[in-house]
Amino acid sequence: MRVVRYIGKRMLFIGPQLFGIILVSFFLVKLIPGDPAVMMLGPLATEATLTELRNEMGLNLSLVEQFYIYIKNLVLHGDLGRSWQTTRPVTEDLFLRMPATLELITLGLILGLLIGVPLGVGAAYLKRGILAKFSDYYGLLAGALPDFWLALVLIFFFYTILGWVPPPLGRLDFFTIAPPTVTGALLIDSLLDGNWAALGSAAGHLILPVVTLGLISGGPILKMTQSTMDRMLESDYSRYEEMCGLPKSIIIRHALRNSLPSVVTIVSVLYGFLIGGAVLVEIVFSWGGAGQYAVQGVLNADINPVLGFVFFAAVLSLIIYLIVDLIYFAIDPRVRG
Amino acid sequence: MSNISAGHHPRTTSERVQAFLRALRYLLDVLRARPLFAVGYGIVVGVVVLAIFAPLIAPYPPETANPVDFLQPPSWRHLLGTDATGMDIFTRIIYAPRIDLTIAIAGTAISAIVGSLIGATVGYYQEVGGVPSFFSGFVMRSADVLQAFPVFVFAIALVAIFGQSLQSIIAAIAFLNIPIYLRLMRSQVMSIRRMRFVEASYVAGTPDRYIILRHVIPNSMAPVLAQLSVNIGWSVLLTAGLSFVGAGVVAPTPEWGSMIAMGFQNIITGQWWPSVFPGIALAVTVFGFALVGASIEVLADPARRRAMAGTMRQRRTKEA
Repeated sequence: MRVVRYIGKRMLFIGPQLFGIILVSFFLVKLIPGDPAVMMLGPLATEATLTELRNEMGLNLSLVEQFYIYIKNLVLHGDLGRSWQTTRPVTEDLFLRMPATLELITLGLILGLLIGVPLGVGAAYLKRGILAKFSDYYGLLAGALPDFWLALVLIFFFYTILGWVPPPLGRLDFFTIAPPTVTGALLIDSLLDGNWAALGSAAGHLILPVVTLGLISGGPILKMTQSTMDRMLESDYSRYEEMCGLPKSIIIRHALRNSLPSVVTIVSVLYGFLIGGAVLVEIVFSWGGAGQYAVQGVLNADINPVLGFVFFAAVLSLIIYLIVDLIYFAIDPRVRG
Repeated sequence: MSNISAGHHPRTTSERVQAFLRALRYLLDVLRARPLFAVGYGIVVGVVVLAIFAPLIAPYPPETANPVDFLQPPSWRHLLGTDATGMDIFTRIIYAPRIDLTIAIAGTAISAIVGSLIGATVGYYQEVGGVPSFFSGFVMRSADVLQAFPVFVFAIALVAIFGQSLQSIIAAIAFLNIPIYLRLMRSQVMSIRRMRFVEASYVAGTPDRYIILRHVIPNSMAPVLAQLSVNIGWSVLLTAGLSFVGAGVVAPTPEWGSMIAMGFQNIITGQWWPSVFPGIALAVTVFGFALVGASIEVLADPARRRAMAGTMRQRRTKEA
């Protein structure tokens, strides 16, 4: 019952929060210089056709009126406007691109967890060992490496020199037939379709960007695991277990179970950050993800994709934080108490 | 070293010198206990020195293309090779921190000052009640909204709005970082405000402004300083990222991110040096600032500082 009440309370805030985010981003993005009408029709368009297009797009209205129309379309029709670059509705574009980004960062974070958690646990348990030293360096280094540069170096070794992976040009080989879109995540879709060629190609293209994000996000996950495990292993219950002579594996397992909430927290923060933050890696691999779509929008005064992306990213972050709260309920009896 | 009663009994010069020497000794002790920190200071000082003396050290002009010498691998003539336009990479790498560090330090400094001042005020008035509390709550909710934006897209949008120049990149970085210092300072101030000496000062009739500036802020500076160094490194990364997508520093100007971007196409055909070397310089610099930040964290925490200094002194007496 507490869960329901808790989530209900959270839901109350979601509306105002989203409204605030759209409000600020709308007026902010409108400040970006550049006339979409000129951009669409090119430099040779006559003033008359420009004016006509501006009227059609509602650019002759005041900003407040434009905002009202934007919100109305969003609430009533789920319409986020059109991108003049792709000439398609932003909602459709984002439903196409967001899964590409989500597939990438989900796998990246899973790899980050596989790297960070074992190293963090090991470093916390064997404080003076080589592992602890290595973890120290790794944590600092992962925070210092530019992800787009790491991606380039990986491409150089594994594509240019060794030729183990496909060229960094998108999510599938040029001649591979894509599976029909169900979830938008290529691995899942090609499995559902039984399309093994697409599955192999998608997996091959995912390797390097996932490794890049995994290596970088492994750093903060490692640091968080290590510091929380440290605290847990120092705590009274761990000492008591140790005094009772319980085997190491049980002591570690109990401490880890109590450290999980902070690991979940750092993963959720990273997830929210990477929705937009993976854009540099997306660009290096021509991924065609949502972040890349938004950046193209800013650079070309195409504001609807930018606003749509900010909206999608905000909704996704809120969903993630909600899931995290549910996970807390599941794994931490103190929250349920 | 900040002193609680700094405003009330002025210290003599010799006392100040002694306090300074004591602080220096702590620093040396900590550096000896954690040599990695010393590496961090070495990197930061090294990068700054290289940037200042770049015109004297660099063998070539940093922005002059030389089409005859394009994409030369590293050799004695071009230590780190040349890029696709024939510019010397070593030269450009040591010129780059002039831009990167200027942007990062200026942006971070502005955000630290503005963020700390707002954060201190908000934290001080948060629990007073009435209009000040309401206003504090409003500021915090605004910070929430600002931090809900996807950082990178927000940064590019800001640069697009202000126009592509050094100043607007600095402004964007300052703007993005303000909420960090706002939160940090606010939580610090809220705990310090409850301390006896602040209450005593309030009871004695000291004006609020004076209490905030002379008592509260100096005593809550330590975590801000630690954050500052880490943040400079992070801002260098952000600047490079902006330049990499073409929304930051523009091409011939030597900057690590745009240099990596320029070498992007070459790395696929096997010429790794135009991208790899600037990336290493960038990573090493950020690494250095992160280490300095970590050392400030230790120095600012009296318990850890004493523990570290203590073990060093023990070791010294044992050796003697």
